Amino acid sequence: MIELNTATKHYDSFTAVDNVSFSVRTGEYFALLGPNGAGKTTIVKMLLDFTRPTSGSLSLNSISSTKAASRNAVGYLSENFRIPPYLTGWQYLQRCAELLDISRHDARDQCKRIVRLVGMEGREHTKANTYSKGMIQRFGLGAALIGNPKLLILDEPTEGLDPIGIRETRQLLESLKDQGMTIFLNSHLLSEVEKICHTVGIINHGKLLVKNSISAIVKDGDTLEDVFVRLVKG
Amino acid sequence: METSKAHSPIFRIMKYTVTDEVRQKSFIIMFAVCSTFVFLLRSCYQGHYLVNGQLLDAESVTTTMSKVIFHVIGAGLMLLVALLSMRVFRRDRDDGMQSCILSKPFTRQQYVMGKIVGLWALSVLFMFILHAIVFLITSIDLRVALPEYLIASLLCSLNLLFAVIAVLLLSLLMPDIVAFLSVMVIGVVSFVAEGIYALSHSQVFQAMIHHPDAHIQPEVTWWKVIFYLWPKLSGLQHLATSLIGGEAFQGLGSVYPLINVFFYCIVLGALLFWRFGKEDIV
Repeated sequence: MIELNTATKHYDSFTAVDNVSFSVRTGEYFALLGPNGAGKTTIVKMLLDFTRPTSGSLSLNSISSTKAASRNAVGYLSENFRIPPYLTGWQYLQRCAELLDISRHDARDQCKRIVRLVGMEGREHTKANTYSKGMIQRFGLGAALIGNPKLLILDEPTEGLDPIGIRETRQLLESLKDQGMTIFLNSHLLSEVEKICHTVGIINHGKLLVKNSISAIVKDGDTLEDVFVRLVKG
Repeated sequence: METSKAHSPIFRIMKYTVTDEVRQKSFIIMFAVCSTFVFLLRSCYQGHYLVNGQLLDAESVTTTMSKVIFHVIGAGLMLLVALLSMRVFRRDRDDGMQSCILSKPFTRQQYVMGKIVGLWALSVLFMFILHAIVFLITSIDLRVALPEYLIASLLCSLNLLFAVIAVLLLSLLMPDIVAFLSVMVIGVVSFVAEGIYALSHSQVFQAMIHHPDAHIQPEVTWWKVIFYLWPKLSGLQHLATSLIGGEAFQGLGSVYPLINVFFYCIVLGALLFWRFGKEDIV
């Protein structure tokens, strides 16, 4: 479903991503972990063709990420997600649905279901400039689910959420497992990743240090956090 | 079938470009002020104008005033459309709409095309409404119908396309306000140069500077080359106004401004697509 083949990205003399190769299978819940500035968001941006790799290639759904068709049935929640302040959460979801050419009737049904799913019932018709960071994040997750995507790319989905919001997001992501969805997650919350994901990749200074199933990486008596700190600190 | 599918994403992006612009309070205020201003201009038609001691007839007054108002609306709309265009990319980036749209199966070309078409359609409609107000004033109040006024309006819309594309391109390369001012400078230079050119070719001016027996040698100078290559925004407006009142068609040379501005639209449009393709989406 996702494939990176010796992907490298330079910004002038700075190497953000250095010769990274890995793949994520259909139905897999994958988390990319790393400290700030490790290159996680750059990988997401390359996957969505927001920035082009200096060398190497990336593909989604077996189609090169430089082609628009690779983003068919892909839901995306960006880091620092925003909603235009003059729109309501409902209008934003409707807009996302209409951009995907979903019929008005289906769009209304999907938006209703998603508003319920992300726990924003009763607040969907107020302007986005009245929303808290957590509320915006919930609508962002909802917008990523519009069109029933097969692949979700989530960049820090629990950013700004309170503990209850984090728990609800985790439960929501777990519920999507039954639908055969593939998830690519960038997160700092190692404890949440450990509960949700099958496999993790750990990246530092643009280099992929490890990519394996959590059970293979985390040995008895250790936590994912222990392994992460050990690998990142060398 | 494939063509309609390919155009559909552009139409969807265009739709949101238009609704986002119309939603802005500044746009509504601009529209209200411009409409009121044009409506108030009808008093200009009711004055008595003397030229060389002779009172102008109503039809001459109507045609001349309509042409003047046409120029004012055309130039004013270029200013407004440049103002509307200069923040489009930045606002989309700041609001997260750019990443929202481009994370969906749209190409960057479709996104840029949607923005261009949206802004152009909105500004053409804006200008057409203002010109239609003048058309209605002359038709109802003065009983002089000028249907060519509306055709001239559509012809002049190519200037608006130039302003949209130029400002969008420059806004990727420099601060928004500098992009806006740069396009305004191009417009002002075009109007001033055309004015100087028209003045220098007037009979009065020719009689003033040339001895009757002198033989005029046409010579190619660098400023003449620049003058002919410069975007002919003013020239296109003159071409459009030549339709009003049924002025005689003056050969293929008079169509040059249309070709010139169209050429600039194509070149700047290609540069805009190329430059946006290299942008990092935030």
